[in-house]
Amino acid sequence: MTKHKNKFLKRKIWSSSVSVVLSLSLVLFVVGLLSLVLLNSQKLSNYVKENIGFTIMLKDSIPQVEEMTFRKELEAEPYTKKTKYISKQQATEKLMKDLGEDFVSFLEYSPLLPSIDVKLNADFANTDSLEKITIKLSKNPVVFETYFQKDLLKKLNSNTKRLSFFLLIFSVLLFLIAFALINNTIRLSVYSKRFLIKTMGLVGATNNFIQKPFIIKSIYQGVYSSIFAVFMLIGAIKLIQKETLKILDVSDLKLIGIVFVLMFLIGILLSMASTFFAVKKYIKLTDDQLYN
Amino acid sequence: MEKYTNFQEKINNNVIEIQNASVYQNEHKVFENLNLNISKGEFVYLIGDTGSGKSSLLKTLYAEIRVSSGKIIIADTNLNEIKHKAIAKFRRKLGIVFQDFQLLTDRTIYENLKFVLKATGWKKKEEINERISEVLTSVHLENVKDKTPHQLSGGEQQRAAIARALLNRPQIILADEPTGNLDPEKSDKIIQLLKEISSRGTTVFIATHDYLIIKKHKARTIKCVDKGIIEVDINTI
Repeated sequence: MTKHKNKFLKRKIWSSSVSVVLSLSLVLFVVGLLSLVLLNSQKLSNYVKENIGFTIMLKDSIPQVEEMTFRKELEAEPYTKKTKYISKQQATEKLMKDLGEDFVSFLEYSPLLPSIDVKLNADFANTDSLEKITIKLSKNPVVFETYFQKDLLKKLNSNTKRLSFFLLIFSVLLFLIAFALINNTIRLSVYSKRFLIKTMGLVGATNNFIQKPFIIKSIYQGVYSSIFAVFMLIGAIKLIQKETLKILDVSDLKLIGIVFVLMFLIGILLSMASTFFAVKKYIKLTDDQLYN
Repeated sequence: MEKYTNFQEKINNNVIEIQNASVYQNEHKVFENLNLNISKGEFVYLIGDTGSGKSSLLKTLYAEIRVSSGKIIIADTNLNEIKHKAIAKFRRKLGIVFQDFQLLTDRTIYENLKFVLKATGWKKKEEINERISEVLTSVHLENVKDKTPHQLSGGEQQRAAIARALLNRPQIILADEPTGNLDPEKSDKIIQLLKEISSRGTTVFIATHDYLIIKKHKARTIKCVDKGIIEVDINTI
């Protein structure tokens, strides 16, 4: 009979922890998902930016060796991600194919110039840097002229900036909500034990002694919640990969690793901190304050 | 001069010493110009009408209600100066039996007692178990140690609360209505037990309105009246 009742009591205590763990893991899952999106958005914007570049038209009749040396120099620059050389011949063939007309035999010469397409590193993909770069390059004797799409670049930059700003605001907001939710859930579970906490103080237990079991339990709760949240996130990643046909690259293991570690840290720290402050609050309350 | 005062206190042997104390609870004056001395090993009853401040006086003695003015020294601890952090250590000198028992409802009686011992620095398992069975035997509760408080009757809970107060062989036992839920026979046994403990040098201070007990086990009696206390002759009650 006693054993049966004790079992019941244990189950009751266990189920109250389960609800804390459950809400904690749901919140952590959202936080994890959001940080994954946030980290990937940087990658996505980098990807877009790194497809931006400029074209350098080279002067005609420059020996190929010089062209190659210039290309090598260009590739050594910090802003260069990659370069592509298009010879006079390639350019002519391409244009002929596009026009569907043999304009060389008509004009009797090709007016096209050899060129180098330069793709930029994301950090340099803005109009300011590009202007500086192109002005500098224009002074080079092999360069005929440089050319980039200023308007497109401006638009792209302002749009990604605005997007990441909103995403950041949204994330901060969601994180605050997550924190408030976790804090509330834990406080409620500690609140239900406020009389026990008070009694412990009355029979001579120090604050640390009272807090210790609560803190240990909160660490366990944090760990369990993080584990659940990580599993949920793995499921979500699999689903995203399946649905978006890998447009969104979420297979970067390093990135996912960072997110998982982040989730564990946030889970344990939030759970511990909320428990610490909640228990501390109830230790200090007097009888009258406890009942009010 | 200070040495002389200490010497004087030693001679007096007072473990409870209250001088001109005023006590407020939520801006409501409970005691004014309170004076009381209780010496080591003394057995004292505290009586008074409901709401006259018996519980408040006990709460003041275990630093749950802070003293506003005057001087209160309990078991060599000055309660005027005590910091919140030091209260836990101070309470280890006392054994407190609460009116509403204040047992930890989420664990068994054995675990309740073990909590107090662990909280007050007991480490060895055998010593802990030995002490727990000692105190449980003294209140005749050996057979319920694996039950949780809500599985016990009021009287059993009361005796468990008394057992908990005895654990650390305190200098002072403060008991708020320790016989309130007991039948006369059990009340008698509990008072006998407390008297025996007091004869071994522990001061026992009991708030009660069980006059039958007072008349049977006569001792110094103090009454709470008009925001103060007076000594009463038990024969005139």
